[in-house]
Amino acid sequence: MADAFAAYPDLRHPFEERPIHGAGHTTVLYQGKTICLTETGTGDGLLIRPSDLKQVNGFELKPEGACFDAMCIPLNDQLLVKQDGQEWFNLTAFADLLEQPYVADVDSRVWSFAEIPAKRSNMLVDGLAPNFEVTDRKGNVVSLADLKGKKALIVTWSSW
Amino acid sequence: MPVWQHIYEELNDPNFVLISAAQDTGGEAVAGPIFDAANPTYIQVIDEDHVISSAFNFVNVPSAAWIDEEGRIVRIDESTYATTHQFGEGDAAFVFGNDIYAPALKDWVTKGASSRYVESADKVTGKIRQYTDEQLRADAAFRLANLFRAHGQEGKVEQYWKLAQSLNPDSVNFVRQDMTLTTEGSGGESFFKLVGEFASQGKEMSRPLNLDD
Repeated sequence: MADAFAAYPDLRHPFEERPIHGAGHTTVLYQGKTICLTETGTGDGLLIRPSDLKQVNGFELKPEGACFDAMCIPLNDQLLVKQDGQEWFNLTAFADLLEQPYVADVDSRVWSFAEIPAKRSNMLVDGLAPNFEVTDRKGNVVSLADLKGKKALIVTWSSW
Repeated sequence: MPVWQHIYEELNDPNFVLISAAQDTGGEAVAGPIFDAANPTYIQVIDEDHVISSAFNFVNVPSAAWIDEEGRIVRIDESTYATTHQFGEGDAAFVFGNDIYAPALKDWVTKGASSRYVESADKVTGKIRQYTDEQLRADAAFRLANLFRAHGQEGKVEQYWKLAQSLNPDSVNFVRQDMTLTTEGSGGESFFKLVGEFASQGKEMSRPLNLDD
């Protein structure tokens, strides 16, 4: 019984200490992805280069605002911030606006963002599966979009 | 794993996809050999950050969702075993799982929307666990801990895994994943204490399978 519940216990505790990112860099976690930013602004909140927004959370800056699919959030001077002549996008202010929770370890320069609630609202209203993107063991990206036209069983398990 | 492969082969339907996602921060090293032993031809995912559990708000393994051709969930979040499992013999035997889920799955794959096991949108949305701000924040804390784990910062792993557990106390996944880093593992004294706590609070560790309601 113990074997079945605790397979490979010796492999569970690697703890080989190594740096998360280079000096002065910042890491953002979102939807299972790890994004390293080489340049961020200073002060309260997480200020990123506007050009990094798309790789961080999929939103694109357009004349009408920060947009993802049909959702567009109008920009204001809380979201687009000028600092020493350089323009920054305030990612934490944006998250607050979207009611997107996050947990930050500021000393380590790591911000971990939860899912944006609006992206999941369809599931709770009409049972439409939320989009997800994971990489399979062969290295293929598997997303909900790939499943269209087919029935799918998505089942979780664990070794523990 | 071998049983899911058997079911997948039996169905042999190009319009049916089975995605099996190990919720394992230990990654390929711990989940890979278990997959390999089953020689699967279905899609195998090692989901270190529990992205799938988060997407469907699952709190334990094994859990599952059935998704139809239009992307609609037609069954969700119930204890999902491919067969009955038994550890030990005689009085010491420990049995879990069931033999009724697999036939129901096959019925749906074969008959589609007319299968009696397909649930209405109302019923499905009623079964989906509602997200709260705390649960979402728990996911973020859990992933932050995983990053620290992968980079050997043990103190911060505990700090953020404990935060995740306090923000989402219903998540058996978070507690048991954390237990894997203890010497007793995830099936020791602490786990059975947790089982007792859930029972005394009248909380379910996973939603029981009920195919008849």
